[in-house]
Amino acid sequence: MPIRLLSLPEKDLQYTLNCMDIGDLIAFSLCSKRTKNLAKFSNRRIGPIVADVYQNYICLEIRPTEVRRVQDDPDPLFMYLDFSNPQIKLDRKKGIEAWRKEGFAHHDWIAHFLSIFKGSLIDQLGINDVCSISHLDIVKRIIPKFRKLKIMELCSTELTKMTFLKLAPIAEEVEIANKPFGNDISQLLSYNLKALTFSDWRTPLELNNVIITEKELNRFLKLWMKSNHRFYRPKYIKLYLPLIDDINQEELFKGIKYRDMDYQYRLTRADGKELLITISWSSVDFMVL
Amino acid sequence: MSSTEQGTSSAAPAEPTTAPESAAAPEVPESFYYVHGKDKVVHKVSAGALQHSALIHGMISNLGYTEEQAKANPFPFENIDGDILQMVVDWCNQHKGKPTPPEDTNLPKQKEKLFDLVLAVNYLEIKELLTYCCKQVAMMVKGKSPEEIREIWMIPTDAEDEAAEKEAKKRAGKEAAGETAAAAGDAK
Repeated sequence: MPIRLLSLPEKDLQYTLNCMDIGDLIAFSLCSKRTKNLAKFSNRRIGPIVADVYQNYICLEIRPTEVRRVQDDPDPLFMYLDFSNPQIKLDRKKGIEAWRKEGFAHHDWIAHFLSIFKGSLIDQLGINDVCSISHLDIVKRIIPKFRKLKIMELCSTELTKMTFLKLAPIAEEVEIANKPFGNDISQLLSYNLKALTFSDWRTPLELNNVIITEKELNRFLKLWMKSNHRFYRPKYIKLYLPLIDDINQEELFKGIKYRDMDYQYRLTRADGKELLITISWSSVDFMVL
Repeated sequence: MSSTEQGTSSAAPAEPTTAPESAAAPEVPESFYYVHGKDKVVHKVSAGALQHSALIHGMISNLGYTEEQAKANPFPFENIDGDILQMVVDWCNQHKGKPTPPEDTNLPKQKEKLFDLVLAVNYLEIKELLTYCCKQVAMMVKGKSPEEIREIWMIPTDAEDEAAEKEAKKRAGKEAAGETAAAAGDAK
């Protein structure tokens, strides 16, 4: 027997919406413009939306925020956007369902989810090794803005390079789990990224046949003092150097004013920015404060 | 554990029959009040059970009725169907003086009554029961598709909403025009 839900007093209606799980709330929001607005004003909180690109589809993962890492935690909702069809598929433990909405293209689904959960952008876009290079432009059209791009470990060199070229300009952060450019990372640093992470732990980035002595480090520090942003954009650099025990402090800071703070040294630039240098037994850290 | 009988809000109801009290009845005699819905059937409810309703609790606190006065003047809830009021009274009696559990399995299962029950409970300000009812309403569409939800909850389409809005505007315009004409007539 149907009931006329929208005739309920506003408070009861909102409470009813608050009792619904995320999948049901999304289904409700798709009924009409009015239900979309009601879903939006229910102020349901979700975790950051993660998108993963596979061979011919994007998988969206929507997590409720009430996750406490216990057995009764609500499961995340997985939704699938097929490149060849503007419908969305989802699995709510009763088989795969396919939803269509008249006039909805792929990007409209993303916009709809962000709208009802009051999100501004997809938090992370993951590119998997099975993703086709020819689909990268489609991915860009469907998800025109996201916070972090993550290129997975098994992606080919070509896929990694093309993904970086096409998608890094619209990301705020990039994490690369392999080494497409070998040790030449200079071309990766030219993008205006907040963070660039190399997480290929099997083959870490190496500077081979490079001798870094106090003299090179001193030059680096002097360039930083001259406010050369193009030279040093990252907020944090850690250099692993062998036999650092006997680093010559005088030579390192030659011609540079610094404050000695017990194995830490602080440099202050004319524009007020400060650089903290930490010297330990195997590494030197440079951190912009 | 309520009792019912025919009565009116204006006349003193006949003595309602009460169900036997449980063994754990309070030592101090409990005061009782009387309510009736649209069908005029009077329900005798203890003050303890009525505490669930913020509305009735407020009315009792303000009136300071004796039991005789309460019997002579049952609280009238003309906007609530008799069977719905019966459900509410039953729930209040079942949960009298008990902490409400997180899930209530005693809630009526008739979906056709659920909507009216929500409205009644909202009016009577019974917060815990309202919580259960809203959960029950939400459960009606668990795992359903947008089309199924539209059907179960009778959600109008965008086109229907637009048509209704146009109609409402038209009606409001006509009413405003009628008022202006009436005001002009009065001025003459």
